[in-house]
Amino acid sequence: MLAVIEFVKGLGVTLRTAFKPNVTVQYPEERRPVSPRFRGRHELRRYDNGLERCIGCSLCAAACPADAILVIAGENTDEERYSPGERYAAVYEINMIRCIFCGYCEEACPTNAIVLGPVFDISAFTRDAMIYTKENLLVPSPPQTPGTPQQTPEGEYNTSIIPGTLTSEPRTGIDMAPGKIEAERRKKLSL
Amino acid sequence: MAKSNLVHVTIDGHQLAVPAGTLVVEAAKLIGNDIPVFCYHPKLDPVGMCRMCLVEIGTPKMDPATRQPMLDENGQPIIAMMPKPQTACTQPVSEGMVVKTTTDAVADARRSILEFLLTSHPLDCPICDKGGECPLQELTIAYGPGVSRMPLGSKFHLAKAVPLGDLIMLDRERCIQCARCIRFQDEIADDHVLEFKHRGRAMEIVSMSDPPFDSKWSGNTTDICPVGALTSRDFRFKGRPWELDNTASICTLCSVGCNTTLAVRYDDIKRVMPRENESVNEIWLCDKGRFGHKYANAPDRLTQPLVRRSGQLQPATWEEALAYAAERLNTVKSTHGPDSIGGLAGDRVANEDLYLFQKLLRGVVRTNNVDHATRAEFPANVADLVAQVGVGSGSNLQSMGKGSAILVIGGDPDEQQPVTWLRIKQAADRRGVSLMVANPRPTKLDRYTRQSLRYRYGMADHLALGLLAALWELVEEGVDLVVDKDALRDLKRASNGYSTARAATLTGVATDALRAAAQALAQASDAVICFGSDLNAAGAQALANLLLATNHVGRPDNGLVPLYRHNNAQGAQDMGVRPDRLPGYRDLDDGATLGDTWGVALSNAAGLAAAHMLTPGTLRAMIVMATDPVGDDPGARYAIQGLDFMVVQELFMTPTAELADVVLPATSWAERDGTFTSTDRRIQYFSPAIRRLGQARPDWEILSELAQRLRAHEDVAETAHLRPSATRDWTYVSVDQIMAEIAVTQPHYAGMRATIPAIVSQRGRLPFEGVVGEGTAFKFSAAEDDQWPVAAEVGGLSQWEWIAGDTDMPAVGSGELLLVPVRRLFDQGTLISKADLLRRRLPGPYVVMNPNDAAGLGVGDNELVTVTTEHGSAEVDVHVSDAAPEGVLLIADRMGAPLRGVVLDSACRPAAATIAPAREMVVGD
Repeated sequence: MLAVIEFVKGLGVTLRTAFKPNVTVQYPEERRPVSPRFRGRHELRRYDNGLERCIGCSLCAAACPADAILVIAGENTDEERYSPGERYAAVYEINMIRCIFCGYCEEACPTNAIVLGPVFDISAFTRDAMIYTKENLLVPSPPQTPGTPQQTPEGEYNTSIIPGTLTSEPRTGIDMAPGKIEAERRKKLSL
Repeated sequence: MAKSNLVHVTIDGHQLAVPAGTLVVEAAKLIGNDIPVFCYHPKLDPVGMCRMCLVEIGTPKMDPATRQPMLDENGQPIIAMMPKPQTACTQPVSEGMVVKTTTDAVADARRSILEFLLTSHPLDCPICDKGGECPLQELTIAYGPGVSRMPLGSKFHLAKAVPLGDLIMLDRERCIQCARCIRFQDEIADDHVLEFKHRGRAMEIVSMSDPPFDSKWSGNTTDICPVGALTSRDFRFKGRPWELDNTASICTLCSVGCNTTLAVRYDDIKRVMPRENESVNEIWLCDKGRFGHKYANAPDRLTQPLVRRSGQLQPATWEEALAYAAERLNTVKSTHGPDSIGGLAGDRVANEDLYLFQKLLRGVVRTNNVDHATRAEFPANVADLVAQVGVGSGSNLQSMGKGSAILVIGGDPDEQQPVTWLRIKQAADRRGVSLMVANPRPTKLDRYTRQSLRYRYGMADHLALGLLAALWELVEEGVDLVVDKDALRDLKRASNGYSTARAATLTGVATDALRAAAQALAQASDAVICFGSDLNAAGAQALANLLLATNHVGRPDNGLVPLYRHNNAQGAQDMGVRPDRLPGYRDLDDGATLGDTWGVALSNAAGLAAAHMLTPGTLRAMIVMATDPVGDDPGARYAIQGLDFMVVQELFMTPTAELADVVLPATSWAERDGTFTSTDRRIQYFSPAIRRLGQARPDWEILSELAQRLRAHEDVAETAHLRPSATRDWTYVSVDQIMAEIAVTQPHYAGMRATIPAIVSQRGRLPFEGVVGEGTAFKFSAAEDDQWPVAAEVGGLSQWEWIAGDTDMPAVGSGELLLVPVRRLFDQGTLISKADLLRRRLPGPYVVMNPNDAAGLGVGDNELVTVTTEHGSAEVDVHVSDAAPEGVLLIADRMGAPLRGVVLDSACRPAAATIAPAREMVVGD
């Protein structure tokens, strides 16, 4: 008798929760949004006109406690311009196996170029594939902009930041839909 | 300075006594108080332009009646503080002075000056090459305001990155107008090429010269610039300073032996910086040394052994190449005898390589046919004379002052050894050393001379002999000179009636001038003679006699300094890479001890000199290391083509290597360690900075491997019972091991720092600190050098000699000019031509012609003419300038291969030349 009562009680719990909203999601088909302050995979951002924010100063690499970042700089010209000012990152690589996602690079960046995004499912079958290059990290150029390199009028980009763009902005620029860039990257690497 | 000249000063409560005339900033440094500075630099005169060094200064109040300090009730002097802060860099200390550097007023002054300097600063430290080693950055962090009150938009903007010449980039926004660069160019380099333009906020640095920034010293301005205004175009955006691995090294591009630091990132030399060594290069480096390092990582470096198979040089393994070379050399040796093999080395490789090279030829091949290619530039007795009366160990041109004398004869340090030029110039111009320059043509050093002796071309020997004759004539006339009168009498007797009158007739230098110069030398407290390759044996011997007679030998800052071309010319002589001397300047007959050490019996038959080896038909096989005889003289091709076999160890596929049967890739100095011996006999160690390129191996390693294989064919049974030894079996594993052997076989090197195991084992752990650090945030110093002592210091001086001078100038007919080859710093050498930036500074083939000759011939500046000599003709540009004396055409001795062996003979001697307008170029020809 006692056993029957307990049995009905148990079924009652099942019955009650069956009508409540789901807590679990069908990962990976379905994903939860992460906090705006989440520190996931890095992205290299651009200005609205498509120029890269990164100026190749290596301060992220200097700040990195895991020595995960490699920057080799190049020199801009008005004919072939990647970023405002004289200097840009010709090579920008982050070794995601080394990275500890501390966010120091973001803090060190003088142009708000590198930010840690919402993507967290970083995995690969080879070590080489875990080294993210500039092509992987750079966000796509905004629509209707020429991207980089672009030809710019002489003397227009004399400073290494576009004035008025350094106020700390909320991270609206980041594509909050998780996995989109990552999916494209994997498609390219045919993983 | 005498003790009585000490003055007492109190700095922040510390009492110290310093020599009168010391600046407050220097006195403070003695107690470890670094007063921040921008415009002050220890090597430059103070100007007080930047005001960064403001401190509070007070002096004791004086009683007007007694001129004694007034005392307070405690018996202490009353200090009257100056009403406003003073610049510590222009204020000399005075007795009883009180300096305060930690008060609120000083802190406020520093903060305000920094804010003022930054009012128009672009704050682009992240992209600035100076960022990370920038005094402005460091002092702002230490003393400046944390926040800028000047919004970026309100700042004064100018176009960024203006090239200031081929090598230097100027960013006018970053300039704080301290004028260090301008002052360096005026005071130190004496090239007045930089100047301020405009006034106030618009003030900027401009170059006044054409081509812009025309100076051999431009790179140094980037070192001393306390901000990012002047940066190197070579290093532009190559890496941040903290990303570079710095390795202590030695410059390889002339024989001064400047101490350098190689800054490396990912096995690529990103920049070469001077390393402080106050007795060699101080803190300077010429542009050749700074920008000429590109050859180490040049894309056309040889990276694998090549063996000639069916007429073509084809890649091979080391084992194949070495075994083949050994087999062929042994075949030649057994068929034609050891003396049919010769070895020609370059004097730009390390001592260890050169030592093993001659050991291979003498101890394994058993011939004395060993020489280095540029030995013939100087008369044969020069190295022996240097071993006798070379400049004393512990010499430092910087310590020479009033009362001493320097004679520069038959050479042009400005083009041959820029740092030597700089130090001689500083001695004469700034410290009152009496400088005499003897040269047939005006050189840059003439500006600072007490006397310029302009002799005729080919008469350098007679000038030296004339100075010697002047000495005995002065003594006979009763002039009171401290000289060795007996020796002079002997020399006079041997000279067969030589006199200043005869020297004057031959050289064109007045007897009075000869006597004045001789007297100045004899009366000097210290005297150094620098001589170039214009002299022959007679002249070199006369200079040595001159020093001996006036007792300017065997002490620091006294003696001979040859102006050798290559970085290890002295080392090649010391190591015995010459056919007539064993290591340590021993005669071939004294080879018994050396032979015992090596475990072989040495031949005492004199070997062939380089010129003989390169005469067709003399040799059957050759071993060539780090030299390019065919590139230097296309005529050498015929001798080499007649050889049965030649092995070449090289960095590049030179014209000589193209003719070789086996080419072995060697490493550059940057990929290995070793020692060089500089022109003043300083043995200096350099460390490896980058990994070996491809399969390249250091020369000493190649030689050991080759020797082991050559010996394998030899009967070594007689020594087989002995304990294995690297010396006998050629199983060297490090340069230290070879240097230890050198210290035994070359007694001069015994006891030198480079050979002492306790010091050698500490390498890489030496303290790195600069003495002259102010305002140059880049600091890296580790001097490890010694000058080996000459006979004049340790005994064993040989007999004085009188060698009669001869005149071997070609006869110049009417309508002809004397074509004279001269050294140029930026030439077309194998190594220097790999540096793109410097190549822009290399002019095409040209001759310098005196304006009078040009007017007579109707030739204009920059006109193309045909120069014809008995050897051939070439088309060259004409530069009309006073630099050439009348009747003389100056031609660079290595301005591209076509000139040598075409208009000049293979030994590059002067020749009589005629000038004709260039042939018209036919289009489509």
